[in-house]
Amino acid sequence: MTIIKTPDVAAPITIELDDVQATVLRQRPAPYYGTHVLLRVDDARSGRALLRRLTPHVDSAAEWWRASDAWLAVAISYTGFDALGLPQPALRSFPDAFRAGMAARSAELRDEGVNAPKNWEFPFGTGQVHIGLSAFSGSLEKWHRIVEIARDQYENFSGVAVLQAQDFGQQPGDLNSLGYKDGIDQPPIEGSGVAPLPGQGRPIKAGEFILGYPGETGAPLPGPRPDVLGRNGTYVGLRKYQTLVGSFNRFLQAHAQTDDERELLAAKLVGRWRSGAPLALAPDVDDAALGNDPERNNDFGYRDDPHGLHVPLGSHIRRMNPRDTSLALLTDVNLHRVIRRGTTYGPPYDPTAVSVEDDQIPRGAYFLFMSAKAPATIEFLQQEWVNSGNFVGLAEERDPIIGLQEQDAIFTVPKAPVRRRIRDIQTFNVLRGGEYFFMPSLSALRWLGEEH
Amino acid sequence: MATQVQPNPHTHADVKVEEHLAKMRELFADAPEVGKKALENVLARLEAQASLNPPPPMESAGRVGSRIGKVSELTIIVPFAPGGARRLRAFLQLFGGNLAGADDVGTVHDMRFVFLDNDTKMLFATAYDGDWDAYIDDFASKIPDFLDIIDSAWEGWPGIRSPEAKDYLAAHQVTAEGWYVANDLTVAETRRLRRIGEAVDEFLDKVGDA
Repeated sequence: MTIIKTPDVAAPITIELDDVQATVLRQRPAPYYGTHVLLRVDDARSGRALLRRLTPHVDSAAEWWRASDAWLAVAISYTGFDALGLPQPALRSFPDAFRAGMAARSAELRDEGVNAPKNWEFPFGTGQVHIGLSAFSGSLEKWHRIVEIARDQYENFSGVAVLQAQDFGQQPGDLNSLGYKDGIDQPPIEGSGVAPLPGQGRPIKAGEFILGYPGETGAPLPGPRPDVLGRNGTYVGLRKYQTLVGSFNRFLQAHAQTDDERELLAAKLVGRWRSGAPLALAPDVDDAALGNDPERNNDFGYRDDPHGLHVPLGSHIRRMNPRDTSLALLTDVNLHRVIRRGTTYGPPYDPTAVSVEDDQIPRGAYFLFMSAKAPATIEFLQQEWVNSGNFVGLAEERDPIIGLQEQDAIFTVPKAPVRRRIRDIQTFNVLRGGEYFFMPSLSALRWLGEEH
Repeated sequence: MATQVQPNPHTHADVKVEEHLAKMRELFADAPEVGKKALENVLARLEAQASLNPPPPMESAGRVGSRIGKVSELTIIVPFAPGGARRLRAFLQLFGGNLAGADDVGTVHDMRFVFLDNDTKMLFATAYDGDWDAYIDDFASKIPDFLDIIDSAWEGWPGIRSPEAKDYLAAHQVTAEGWYVANDLTVAETRRLRRIGEAVDEFLDKVGDA
């Protein structure tokens, strides 16, 4: 059932919703289906013509809180803007990280070892990924229809090549590749028209997520020029992960004896149980009713758990959003939020999978995240909150779900009287590729498609 | 009887070392005598050490600056605004020269404020944890006034809230050519290890007394 929010009449809508692409605000439906398509533009005129054909089919975020039909989202990489013939002054106005592309930022992203770009799958890291086109839907038939519409625009269109098309979703219970309900916590955006859900905290200034509006410090974040290109747009990051289900299950079996103990250990790694119920509210056993209730499943803080006895300081969701955790470093957590539109691909999680062959079955996550400074944010997260534990006094420990683990890596489970340090935690999600994109407003898409 | 094992003169690594040392001699040809003699004294040692594991090289700290392991350096040289030196000196003296409020930042190892050329410019240098870009926005959000009191002593400082602030810092920053850090430990790690060390000593004392 798709969550239908009600508009908050008390809070004025200050974002130009009819110019922002729908996917920036419209939540992932439940159940969800869709397809990601990666395109290469071989000829600038053809590329612009493709944008002219696609743009009328791209929904805006107007009344985004209503249950909706399927929708399309279009985003363009730096090499894509270049291939489309965007003039040099505009190209130069993009930030360095976006211009370099995700592969060239591997040092900043700490994408080394197995995650290094030289190991990435084609077409990632080649510079050929120019346009990302995603179709989202809440039903099978609407999904088929929207994919047909999209294909009609780009298929057999000379001057544009399809590099990859990946279906996603269709997961039983919408569980992710490790068998967890995901995508629960989202940043509340001021002026978007809907009141925050319990636990989301106070609305964050729109400019942190959409260009052209004041950010948390009062000034708008820098955007590309001319104004028509940047305004109402946002940056999108894509990171495709392969989930090593066999490794994950072997780890649980090695460090816990009974099914209950394994589920508790897994919950300590994630910060939630499989149902989505947060450890902060259900410290001992899963609670499916809690996990399924959006009014309750995110309504918690960490003030009463300063040492992580309920929710380990290094658990995944506590790292990704520390909330009111007392951090070792002076931090404003509201500056590091991203909107998440992740999608699961491949066969569902298999609790019996333990072999190395199971690790190779193509299954995992397309981690999609958006903000007005998404490249800077993901680089911060990767350096400070994922591949380091310094910010919570955990030295070199890394995120147990998406961290790149070194040899003999440790995960600390705080306990009384003495903490338990579990050795030999592995990398459970391996990066297979990624890219930085810009998601233009509808005006910008029309402007980009024009012949000048 | 021990025999001296000579490194194989034909390994690629050794050829590189020999090239480097030959270049050093060339560069020092017009050095002051004191330097030339000193170089000759150490060359043999340098040659021997070069075949062992070299130390980890300096990396970039991000936009500007150098980093070794987890610790980065930031060195800024900047002209004072009119009256800036006088104001900043007085502000520093309020705290006995020790801006210990930086304890709360959690990433700052040290800071130095050095006034140069008759109070016309200054050098600001700090060792800190992580990359250049990482926490600047957080500082601007949490301690903007503290930063502006200090930085407004600098000619043309736009204010920490300005979108030009980062460009100003980068424009006045000089990346170090050499950087050495004794312990690859962050401020947070050091504080934790000190607490643990004290606890272990207390524990051992009790065991020892029993």
